[in-house]
This record gives sequence, C-alpha cells and structure tokens, in this order.
Amino acid sequence: MKKPELLAPAGDLERLKIALLYGADAVYIGGPMLGLRANAINFTLDEIKEGCDFAHKLGKKVHVTVNIVLHNKEIKYIKDYLINLEKAGVDAVIISDPAILKIAKENTNLELHLSTQASTLNIEAVKFFKDFGVKRVVLGRETSKKDIKQIIDNVDVDIEMFIHGAMCSSYSGRCVLSNFFTARDANRGGCAQICRWDFNLLDEDKTPLKGEKEFTFCTKDLSNLVNLPEICDMGVSSLKIEGRMRSVYYIATVVGIYRKAIDEYCNNPSKYEYNLEYEKVLRNCANRDSITQFFNGNFGKESQYYNGRQEVSNQDFLGLVLDYKDGIVTLEQRNYFKVGDVVEFFGPNTKTFEYKIEEVFNDMNESIDIVRHPKQIVTMKVSQPLEKFDMMRIKKD
Amino acid sequence: MKLLIMPKSIDQIESLIEDIDGVIVGIKDLSINQPAYFTLDEIKKINEIIKNNGKEIFVSLNKNMFNKDLEILEYTLLQLDNLKLNGILYYDIAIVNFKKNLKLVTPLVWNQEHLTTNYLTSNFWYEYGAKYTMLSSEITLDEINEIALNANAKTMVPIFGYLPMFVSRRHLVKNYLDTFKIKDDSNINYIEKENKIYAIIDSNDGTIAYSNKCLNGINETLKLNVDYIVLNSFNINNATFKRVVSMYNIVNESNIQEFKEEIDKMLETDTGFLYKETIYEVKK
Repeated sequence: MKKPELLAPAGDLERLKIALLYGADAVYIGGPMLGLRANAINFTLDEIKEGCDFAHKLGKKVHVTVNIVLHNKEIKYIKDYLINLEKAGVDAVIISDPAILKIAKENTNLELHLSTQASTLNIEAVKFFKDFGVKRVVLGRETSKKDIKQIIDNVDVDIEMFIHGAMCSSYSGRCVLSNFFTARDANRGGCAQICRWDFNLLDEDKTPLKGEKEFTFCTKDLSNLVNLPEICDMGVSSLKIEGRMRSVYYIATVVGIYRKAIDEYCNNPSKYEYNLEYEKVLRNCANRDSITQFFNGNFGKESQYYNGRQEVSNQDFLGLVLDYKDGIVTLEQRNYFKVGDVVEFFGPNTKTFEYKIEEVFNDMNESIDIVRHPKQIVTMKVSQPLEKFDMMRIKKD
Repeated sequence: MKLLIMPKSIDQIESLIEDIDGVIVGIKDLSINQPAYFTLDEIKKINEIIKNNGKEIFVSLNKNMFNKDLEILEYTLLQLDNLKLNGILYYDIAIVNFKKNLKLVTPLVWNQEHLTTNYLTSNFWYEYGAKYTMLSSEITLDEINEIALNANAKTMVPIFGYLPMFVSRRHLVKNYLDTFKIKDDSNINYIEKENKIYAIIDSNDGTIAYSNKCLNGINETLKLNVDYIVLNSFNINNATFKRVVSMYNIVNESNIQEFKEEIDKMLETDTGFLYKETIYEVKK
C-alpha cells in the first residue's frame, strides 16, 4: 500500500513550519494574488521562497493556491505570477479555472492540481482534466466512498480528498450568499459565512415554521479519522486538512494526530486499532461538532448545526516553545495560564507529558503568578527536554 | 440582441411565442435552477413548436453530475443531439468530455453560473465546443460588455428574474423539518431575514435559494452589447411574466422609462450587480 500524502494548510510562515514539523508531507498556501482566501494573511513571493526552502530541506513540498474565480482585470497578471511561483521553488499550483491551467501548462513546468473549487465529482470530468495534463484532482466534498473508489479505479490520475475541517454547505462555487447579503464576493475570497446565520423558515404561504432553534444552512465539520484505513486502502493519493486561517495549535494538533494514525495503519495494517484518544484530542482542539459527511452518505439531519454562531473559541493552547536550554524552557504565551495549572507538553519529537506549573518568570526574570498578556515571553523550569515549536496546552481529564 | 425565456410550461411557450426569439428549458433529473423540468418527450414537443415558429431552443443540463448520473446523461445527450438544438447549457465538465468522445454536433453553452466572469475562460471553452457563454449575474455591466467584446463565443446574460444564489447537495429544508418534527408539504419555502424574504426549494437534487428581489435590467438592455438576454419565469405569475416579456420585446429609448416603472409596480426589483461591484479583498 502506498502511504498517502498528508497535506496541511498554512496561513503564514510560522504555520508552514509547524505543519511540516508536526508531520505534514506537504502544505498548501496562498500567495500574494489570485487565491481564494483574501481574508488570510497570505504569503509574499519572498516568503513563499523561504517556505519552499524550508520544506525542501525536510524532503517535503509546497503547493500554492491559484484558485480564484477569474475576472477580466486579472488576466494580464497570470502568466508572470505563475512564472514567479515556479522561480520561488513551488512544487505544485492548485487551480480551478481552466484558462489559468492552460497558461500554467504552456509557460511553466509546475505540477498542476485541479482545485476542489472546480467541484469535480465524476469519472468523465476527471478524465477531461487528466487528458488536459492535470496531475492531481482535488475532488468535490460531496463525493461518497463509492464515487471516489469508482474514480480511482477508472482514471489514472492522483486523487486528493478532504479528510478533516470545515465544510461549505453548498457545492463549491455555487454559493454567492455573501455577494447578495454583504457585497463580498464569495468566489474571490470574501466569504462572510452567511451560511452560519439564522433565518426564519416559512411555508409556501409565508407562514413561519418554528422549530426550537432557527433555520440555518450551517453544517457540522468533517472528520474522517474513523475511515482512515478504508481511505488508505482505496488508493487516495493525498489527504487534505482544511483551514488556512486556523491557528498554529489547531494545525499542530490535527496534523500530529493524522500523522500518527496514517503511519500506524500504513506501517502495519493488520495491527492497527482505532485510537479513541486521538478522536478525543481532535474533538477538544476544534470548537465544532464533526461527522464523516458525504464519504458515508452522511448529509441528513444529523449533519446540520443549529447552534448558529454561538461558538466558544478554543483556549486550550497556552504557549509555544521558543527555546529550551539547561532545563529552562522559554515560552511565548498564547492563552492565559497561571502557577498551579496542570498542563501538557507535546511536539513533533516530544512524547506528550504532563507537567504542573510551579514557578514562572517574566522577561525581567521576575517571578510571576499569572501569565495573562498575549505573546508574553516567559521562562519555566522543566526537567524533561523540549524543542523549539513544541507546545503547551491545558491538561483535560 | 435576441430574447430568450426560461418558461414554466409548454402552454407558456405557446402563449409567448410571438414575443420571443427562443427558449432555455430544463430537463428532469439533469437540471437545476429551472422554473420547470420537462421530460425528454416534452422537450421533443417543445422543439417542434420552436422549430415550426423559426425560433431557437437551448436545453439546460446544468446540475452537478455524480457517477450515478453519467449513464442517463450520456443517453440524454445522444437523444438531444438528434434534435438539432441550438445549444446545450452545461455546468459539469462531464458534458464537455462526452461531447468530445461521442462526437456530438450540438454546440455547448458554458453556463457555470457564478464562474462565468471573464473572456479568457470563455475562449478556453470555445475551443471545446462552447459556442455560447451564459454570463454570471454577479458581474457589472462594464464587465459584461468587456467580455462580449473579447469573447469568441456568443454571449448571453440573465436580465430579468429571481437569481439563484445558493445550491447544495444537502436537503436543508427537509433536515430542519425532520430535526424539529415539523410537518410541511409546501412545494416552495421561504427564508426570512430582517424582513427580506428569499425563496428556497428543497428537491431530489438538493436545495436552492434565490434572491429576494427580482432582477430587472430593462433600462440596461439598450446599453448591453451581448447577443442574447434571458428572462426567467421562476416564481412569477403567468400574466405578469407575459406582460414583462412583451415589454422587453419592444423596448426602445422612448418607452424604456415607462416600462421600467410598470415592472417596478408589479414586482419588487433591483438591478442586481449590474452597477454594484462586489468587494474582493476585505480590509484587514
């Protein structure tokens, strides 16, 4: 069995490094133009080059999204931009518009991946793009296990699928709710997540149909950890985690769990056992419910999310390790913590361990009881060795 | 500039035949966002009516296709290819691949709804047989005219009707009714937010939501340089639609303001995105 690539999102250089160090085989990022996450910070060309150098030293890859819905005014920039991406060392470009694919094909040697934004769901459409020269197709999230298997069995092209993260309620590219409600272009990076708003549902006579909660388009997130062995057996080439705007903690946690699960299964399938602890860590890390979605034909009422926008942001992530020397860890604070808290350290090469905070020092080397300032630099004595980019999180029972 | 309608019924086509240049019709199980879904036999009948009157007929096969749809899609494309239609509207690229491999002669219409926003991609699909492009309703009048000027394909633009703004594979209305154990047999539902009401339809192929206001670009018809304008009858009563079509058919400089005012009295309208450029990058 060929081990599938684990592909992680990265909103900036820090997250790129975290994703790769925590086990991703490749990352996908947005560049300075023509991507679909205008709200994300996105990378400059220099940062893309730095990210590619970092990835390549680890034997890993960088894919750049060029998946905007194209308007006339951008046409003149495409060719030079793609050439510059190639010069920066990018391994692949993720494109939805076929005219951009054509320019990339004719002017660069970049590997071409068809974005999920193209909503490719069937054998015939995949064949078309394969014949055109696309190396990999990122399938639409509405494809079922059966659909994916049929496509893999019938077309000799790499298939990438989403394995974890948020879901659009609509088909990709077929939602312009943001355009109508806020004049922000959903297909050009301006999605305002109108699908998470509450509405009143009315019948054909415009009489309200009242449930205990309001109507919404909103769906639960995707998590396919439970289906991982089946997905690996099917021959899917790449497993994609959603979320270029997610935090370093989310990226590290989700990537770390899927890295372990993929390795455990692919290295020894007959001994593999589903690890409930992994599921628990993923659940704690996200702040929304998740299910297997379309992979198991799971898009009925159990897939809906009627909690509106009342979501609590995750505050488990307490600090990022900047340095460790002579038994002293230097941490950058990410959420409030205090002396007496029981925490866990974890990292790419650090086996998770529990630790009770007994003393903390600020950057003036003064002892403090509470670490409350965002990104505050503090030091603590920790006897077990740590590495840069390890993380500290709250210990949950 | 030619006038196409998306009709609700064969009767409606017959009643409007004098005022139109052609129709775009949906087909059962392979189309979405249509005011009606006709069977293949009905399409054949409509084709006869249209041809007998020297008009044009386009069939819309614009839903997202799954593997399970491919067999019926292939069969339907072969059947339609015998009818000498003016064109087949497609969303899913499976149709382009079938056209190539089955050597179908019927021209295609690139109709990827919100994605048909530039001339370069239109010219790409032109090489694969898309001799027409149906332009997005979310671009401005200037963008439309720029595309029409630079595209090899003949261009069409939605000019009147409620606009689709959301399509999902999910059964969002049914899921809500099931979750909260509400009984409702409505053929069409609505969602309401801040006193604005939007049509929403949950059918076999999923859920579609429409704009709250009806696009009325009659003022703009004389400023557009496209080849076709399209009027959609979805959720508009027959008498109103008949009157609207008759006005669009004869609109000119002298009656345009009068017609606009008459339509605005019958329906709550706006000009969609014809003058409203959407924001691309949100200020950080």
